[in-house]
Amino acid sequence: MAFPLPRGITASEIAFLAEMETVTIVPRQRLEGLELLGGPVEPLIPPRRAALPLWLALLLKRQRRANIMPPPWLHPDSLSLILEVESQHQDYKSAFSPPPPLPGQPSIRDQGLEPTARPQYTLDGNRYYAAPPFLPQNTAQTVVSSRDPPALPYHWVEVGNMLLDVASDDLVDPDQIRRLLKDLREVRMAKMRSGIDVLDDAAIGGGGVALTGVGSMELGEERGFLAGVVDGLRKIGASKEQARREQLAEQRANGGYDGTQDEEEEDYMEF
Amino acid sequence: MSYYDIDSILTDAQVKLDPSPEKLPCTFELEVPGLGILEGNPGEDIKAGTRIDLPLWLGEMLSIGARLGTSRLVTLDMPDALAERVMNALKADPRTVDLRALAPHFYTLSERILEIFEEEEMVDVLIDTFKKRAAEISDHAHNPRGAVGEGVDFLRGLDETERQLFRAAHDRAKEVRIWAGEAKKK
Repeated sequence: MAFPLPRGITASEIAFLAEMETVTIVPRQRLEGLELLGGPVEPLIPPRRAALPLWLALLLKRQRRANIMPPPWLHPDSLSLILEVESQHQDYKSAFSPPPPLPGQPSIRDQGLEPTARPQYTLDGNRYYAAPPFLPQNTAQTVVSSRDPPALPYHWVEVGNMLLDVASDDLVDPDQIRRLLKDLREVRMAKMRSGIDVLDDAAIGGGGVALTGVGSMELGEERGFLAGVVDGLRKIGASKEQARREQLAEQRANGGYDGTQDEEEEDYMEF
Repeated sequence: MSYYDIDSILTDAQVKLDPSPEKLPCTFELEVPGLGILEGNPGEDIKAGTRIDLPLWLGEMLSIGARLGTSRLVTLDMPDALAERVMNALKADPRTVDLRALAPHFYTLSERILEIFEEEEMVDVLIDTFKKRAAEISDHAHNPRGAVGEGVDFLRGLDETERQLFRAAHDRAKEVRIWAGEAKKK
């Protein structure tokens, strides 16, 4: 163990990545537009809302030059709804509440509709479709679409924590939010750990735990442990897996050549 | 398993320490001239039928003849750590067995043994043990008070693989708590 850091990325690195998220602010002072590496920032003119990267928004908030509009999911009502789904709902006994829909992905209510992704345009006029780290999942929506239920974005732990830290006066009932975030984390952590029981299927092939909707901080926290468990199960089950493959290859050999035999050939080799 | 993996090397070699439970009981089938040094009589011959506990790496090599179907040099028996008695205890309750007392590298040893012996049932028992104990380890690792109280006995009985799991889970949980400002950095 020459290198002191564990494998994977650390909590503060995950938080650093989360600062790329776009949030909405209401500036209190004028500010010229900025040309940043991550894209230009529009000029800030109070009281017009603007979308900024989280790190800049936090900086302005600390300097009392802006107020941050909390994202719609960071609200006691949304969070308690998600918590209720997560802990009470029959379908989510062992699954995580769904992540926010991708652009063009039809929401649960209108499944029959054709998915339509709205393209965006770069400064040069090239068309592109935004992908998850660059989706405005943490901006305040002007038109609250009542069709989409609230959902936790990928960086919910980090964004929630940082906003509670710096901008708690912009949030609705910050103490309640803090409590709900903690409860949510505990419920979801317990779910992830209860998934160990089915992990051997993942090691032997087929099955496993669906981690859809799990945030990056949660993944970072459990990565070392879960990967270790899967690896351990794989090693213990190696001889069984070998036997299974041999049996499979034998069946194929008896059933004649079906074209997929070649890849199994090497399993015959023994010294 | 990398070439320089210290746990893999220890699994190979620790067998040589005399009171170690990871020794591999071997019975010689042939008379080997001049190999009496294994028994502690240098210069003597080893008689057929002699029972010696050999290190895993040596027993493994000597038993290869058996697998080729030619003349076998030694026959192997199950090491004490994986005896029937232990398997029954693991079937009854995996959490109360002190794996560390059985063998400090219990799982790495059983991986190697399972490569030599075909034991379908043992694989199932071990997988079940590993899963149940991993769940328990995870619960202890996320306990912010650390390993105190009733968990101490269980945690003392973890083998080396499980200790690494505990360490991974515990360090990460602590790191996140420190980042979130819930715990003080020590």
